[in-house]
Amino acid sequence: MSGWPLAEAATVAQRHPAIITVAALYFAGVAAIALWATRRTHSAADYFVAGKGIGIVTLAVAAMASTLSGFAFIGGPGLVYSVGTGAVFIVLSAAVTSTMVAWVLAKRLRLLREVRGVFTIPDAIGARFGSPAAQGLAAAAILVAIIGYMATNFLALGLVIDALFGTGLTAGVWIAMLLTLSYTLTGGMLAGVYTDLFEGLVKTAASLTVFWFVLRSSGGLPGISRAIMAVDATFLGPWGKMSSLSALSLFFVFGLGSLGQPHVLHKFYMLRDPRKLKWYPLIMSLAMTMTLLLFVGVGLAVRALVAEGRVPPLARPDDATATFVLGFTPSVVAGIVFAGVIAAGMSTVNSFMNIGAAALTHDLPIAFGRRIRDELRWGRLWTLVLSVIAAAVAQASGTLVAFLGIFGYGLFAATLVPSLAIGLNWKGATREGAIASIATGLVLTLMVETLVYFRVFSLPVGVSTSGLSLILSVLVFFAVSRLTRARAATQLAPDVALVMEV
Amino acid sequence: MSTRFALSAFVASCLCIAGAYALAFLPGGAPPWASWGIALGAPGALATIMLLGASRGGRIPATAAVAIVLTFVVLTLAFGIALLLPAAEGAGGPLLLGLPLRTAIVIYGVGITPLFFLPAAYAAAFDAETLTEADLERVRRAAAERVA
Repeated sequence: MSGWPLAEAATVAQRHPAIITVAALYFAGVAAIALWATRRTHSAADYFVAGKGIGIVTLAVAAMASTLSGFAFIGGPGLVYSVGTGAVFIVLSAAVTSTMVAWVLAKRLRLLREVRGVFTIPDAIGARFGSPAAQGLAAAAILVAIIGYMATNFLALGLVIDALFGTGLTAGVWIAMLLTLSYTLTGGMLAGVYTDLFEGLVKTAASLTVFWFVLRSSGGLPGISRAIMAVDATFLGPWGKMSSLSALSLFFVFGLGSLGQPHVLHKFYMLRDPRKLKWYPLIMSLAMTMTLLLFVGVGLAVRALVAEGRVPPLARPDDATATFVLGFTPSVVAGIVFAGVIAAGMSTVNSFMNIGAAALTHDLPIAFGRRIRDELRWGRLWTLVLSVIAAAVAQASGTLVAFLGIFGYGLFAATLVPSLAIGLNWKGATREGAIASIATGLVLTLMVETLVYFRVFSLPVGVSTSGLSLILSVLVFFAVSRLTRARAATQLAPDVALVMEV
Repeated sequence: MSTRFALSAFVASCLCIAGAYALAFLPGGAPPWASWGIALGAPGALATIMLLGASRGGRIPATAAVAIVLTFVVLTLAFGIALLLPAAEGAGGPLLLGLPLRTAIVIYGVGITPLFFLPAAYAAAFDAETLTEADLERVRRAAAERVA
């Protein structure tokens, strides 16, 4: 049997109209939600934090949908196919992170909205330290990271749309941008969060169904393992083809880094009743685990099929998912998976559009001592501008997109974890510590990632830019806060102190 | 268990990780035992920041403390066993629940086991230890006073 690279899927899709039908139904569902939300978006609060609020199930599933971008369905399985179980360390902390985020940040952020009316993550940093400078710096870091994130997701969406509908990559990128923009621009976060819910359910259904076929493909998990172990002893070792230091480093970055992902964290502001947070870890952990089965299962299954000689070695690891669903599942399932890939990209991009527009409309003007009067109109305008820039970047340069896409997660983690996660739980933290750590995370990530990317130097095996930047920004945060500790008490407003005490 | 302990343990965990990274810069690369810095430091960092988040008035409630310490033990044990056991992932090697032994210990130990108790502990402790009606009332009163 020949492979089914994603780029060649158009011809396959034409032979399987069910794939096109399911994808078209998915787009119709998104359009219906967008239309509903548009009629209910009247203010900046509606646009940025979904108006009067959402329920806990919607929050948890939408947070899962935003967390798992297209990487979880395409790049992730490809990475498992390439480096074996070492790649699983990217998602291994998911059993812990939902509860960790709930204990460390969910309650504090939601209560901060109660006392201060905050609606962005830099807003929370500004309120905690009484510092427009820290708020502005955090917003700047977010903006740098989201352009790359949005561009990579537009590129991935463009590839899938091209593969399904034969539009060509350039048109695919712009169609993806226009589709996501249309519901974000009109329905704002209200549309975003309910399409996230819909997209999250599609992703979960796709993952569960595909995992069932994964288990059938080579005689269950023992069959898959035996097939791989017969030809490659290290692939299924605990660290796969990576060093133990590299794999454990991934666990650290993606574990602690989950406390600095603004597109997920800002959803806590939208929860109608803070007491419902009780159920967040349970629902989120369950949703994440089910949706990550595809990430882990497909890469292993395809590697086993290659080992058994039933599939030729893949030319590109990222073709693992397309190869499996087009070759080993019914057309309808393949359609659901392609819809899931589109869903993954659109839900992540939608969140980034929103937080990027909020950074430009709200956080940066505050940092410069100004307030914008009509935040709804300016929010929409900036959403449009950011989307056009990201789509242009995606279309113009594959190299630039790859470069920008590399450091998004790490940049969020290195710049936001210390001031947000530690800052909201430690009264000894200071404004100076927050500013120093955000600056350290931003400068170090950009500088090291650039030098490594352009091969000026390389980091030793086991050390990643993200890990290095995150650990150094945390240590700088503690060191500078310690040096300036005399100012800590005066920088903490009584209402924020109350939020940190309860 | 106090907030002060959680904070100190978090810094110590981060220093373990920083130490492991620093060792990797040595000529010849990181020695094999450098991985222990992250095998201990990463679970330590996740557990201690959870302790910090769960604390109220400088103290860490019992349910949260037990669940979080258990998480640290499970994670560290899984990574530790995988580092200590000899490799046996070749043809005919032993399987546990469909995966090679060391891999199964890591995947099921770290990726699955905490799901059975951590979210449940959070939910069980929530009403009494995390956010009470009285807490919410205090916060809303403070918000109203601020507006006034």
